[in-house]
Amino acid sequence: MVAKATPLAIARRQRLLTAMAAAGIDEIVAYGNGWQSDYLRYVSDFGILEGHGIAVIAADGTTELFLDNATDTERAEVETAGIAVTLCGDIARAVEARLDRVANHRLAAAPRRFLPAWLAAAERTFVIEDGTALLDRLLMHKLPAEIDAIRRAAKIADDAYGEFIKAVMPGRRQYEIVADLEAYLRRRGCPDNFMIIGSGGKDVFGMTPPSERRIASGDLVTTELTPAVDGYYVQICRTLVAGKATAAQTSAFAIYREALEVGIAAVKPGATAADVARAENDVFRKFGLADYVTSKYTRVRGHGIGLFCDSKPHILEDVDTPLEPGMALIIHPNTYHPEVGYLVLGDAVLVTETGVEVLCGTPRELFEVLT
Amino acid sequence: MRRGLIARSRTELPDAVFEARLGRLRAAMRGLDALLVYTNNTRPAAVSWLTGFIPYWSEALLAVPRDALPVLVVALTFRVKPWIERTSRVADVIHAPRVGIEAARVIARHRTDAAVGVVDFDHLPAGIADDLCEAGPRLALSDASGLFATVRAPADPAEIMLAARAAAVAGSALSRIEPHDSACAIVAGVEGDARRNGAEEVYVAMAPDLARDRRLVRIEGEPMLGRRFAVRASVAYKGSWVRRTVTVDRDCAATDGAQAIFTGAIAHLPSDGALSQLSSFLVEGCRIADPLEALMGSSVAAPCPPVAGAVVSVQASIDVDGLPVLLGAPALVGASGATASIFP
Repeated sequence: MVAKATPLAIARRQRLLTAMAAAGIDEIVAYGNGWQSDYLRYVSDFGILEGHGIAVIAADGTTELFLDNATDTERAEVETAGIAVTLCGDIARAVEARLDRVANHRLAAAPRRFLPAWLAAAERTFVIEDGTALLDRLLMHKLPAEIDAIRRAAKIADDAYGEFIKAVMPGRRQYEIVADLEAYLRRRGCPDNFMIIGSGGKDVFGMTPPSERRIASGDLVTTELTPAVDGYYVQICRTLVAGKATAAQTSAFAIYREALEVGIAAVKPGATAADVARAENDVFRKFGLADYVTSKYTRVRGHGIGLFCDSKPHILEDVDTPLEPGMALIIHPNTYHPEVGYLVLGDAVLVTETGVEVLCGTPRELFEVLT
Repeated sequence: MRRGLIARSRTELPDAVFEARLGRLRAAMRGLDALLVYTNNTRPAAVSWLTGFIPYWSEALLAVPRDALPVLVVALTFRVKPWIERTSRVADVIHAPRVGIEAARVIARHRTDAAVGVVDFDHLPAGIADDLCEAGPRLALSDASGLFATVRAPADPAEIMLAARAAAVAGSALSRIEPHDSACAIVAGVEGDARRNGAEEVYVAMAPDLARDRRLVRIEGEPMLGRRFAVRASVAYKGSWVRRTVTVDRDCAATDGAQAIFTGAIAHLPSDGALSQLSSFLVEGCRIADPLEALMGSSVAAPCPPVAGAVVSVQASIDVDGLPVLLGAPALVGASGATASIFP
């Protein structure tokens, strides 16, 4: 089995090399692990699961991948194309030996703050600049082939939410529902997903990994589903009621739907992340819910999506990142509502030349699961 | 990112287990005022061994003062505090976006020039190391990996019990493989079964056609399966990770001989003498923060043999009738002089 570089990986690498040349950088050092894997994937096209990984790409495109996990190393040998893969017991010292050879070159790391401390220490013979911003720009502004993968992931996200509705029923435990979803995604050939869940009423303040809690009649059941295709994550957030929705739940949900709609309407080239967050939050303020758009009750009002499921820019009122065509985002005014509990609703969108394209097709409803 | 069951069972992990582990650690902290242990969802093992805390996302530092209760400094938001308290055993949880800054302050409050051991210091994220120095300029930081590894090495009864449960979950999932299913259906079946049985996480890998390539990969899309293929389930249960690998022959060719060779070779652990006679092998176990660190193997340049009483996962490739048979199972390395045994 010998992998062939995909057109997507080739396009990404060419774009990276162009950006490196423009910035005068000789080598990029990209760090990744199973949590923060996007920089490493951009450079090496490897989706790391276990241990640390560092990819070094030179200005001529030569790429080396250093991994400290044996099974991931074997996987990388098969799943990547045209790069040298090395298993090392101490990844910091292995990469140091590689960089010592080019100590007089201009080196930049992304994300530098995650590099092993020993490798970034001042005692080394080389200096590693922070190249995070350079990679962030590439990660945020998607190529056509990246957008194609995102569209395919959005379709799977919609289908998966349909499966989620089927999996929820009173008496089932949260982790059993998630197990069904993950099995569904694997059957579809989708290797990865990020997913959290919540169930209950006013006692629920957010979503977490699944617990042993059983779904009860009347529960609000929230989820954030984030399947990945070719490494690109797309998210959808929806809420359902295990039973018939109450008037309070229906009324509260209408606020979230309005916030999502105005948030999406605010997405256009030239607007900022802050503009979108403000549009969403103003709806809550209008309904006397200003406290519930603060960090006490909610984290972000959306975020970038792509090779990481929680990319930049974060949609917050103090983030002035301008939106540009080719950026993919999830807009989700998720927060706690004092009368019914935690509610979520969010759609993935793409910033276009003229405005916005919604990628999710699932109706923006408060779904009811009637038994 | 974790999306399986994360829950604490006081039957499986009673307070006394954590007290005993902390006690052993503190006893070994000679010359140190405090210990710092980093965790994220790929390097969770050291902190979960001490507290049960497993970050499904983000990162944290556990500060263990020698004479005070441990404090967990997490980058997760305050809203997650009840979940952390439900799923782990930590005296105090502090939420801060820059965990290094806050952890240094926690320790410096006791003593500004404290001697602080940092577990796996060399691989701590550089940003956190910088923050520790910024907020605790007089703290004397040193690497405490050796200290931690020594204390943690032999598995206690609770760890053995969790590994046995993880092994059973993996075994059940792999036993459901239908040889003539598609690759995606097999992966879905294994993963779904493991998660429904309470797995915290499961990674399924396949070698779809052993006649072509014996390496195990993650399945994306729908590859064709050959006559003989292999499936590996890496399963976590409440912080304990194991790997199991099975080979399926669609023509029902017997692979029992390979199983006997594999079992016999494992019995000699911690010696790799018998395993090294096989086509390839890998022994993994938890020393510090990686749940499954390569300890010995055909491609491991600097072996670090497991100690007596450690839980390990062993994988091997054995040629039968000109085709490889891949096998893998977790095992308990025997006490000095005793035979190592595979978890059922």
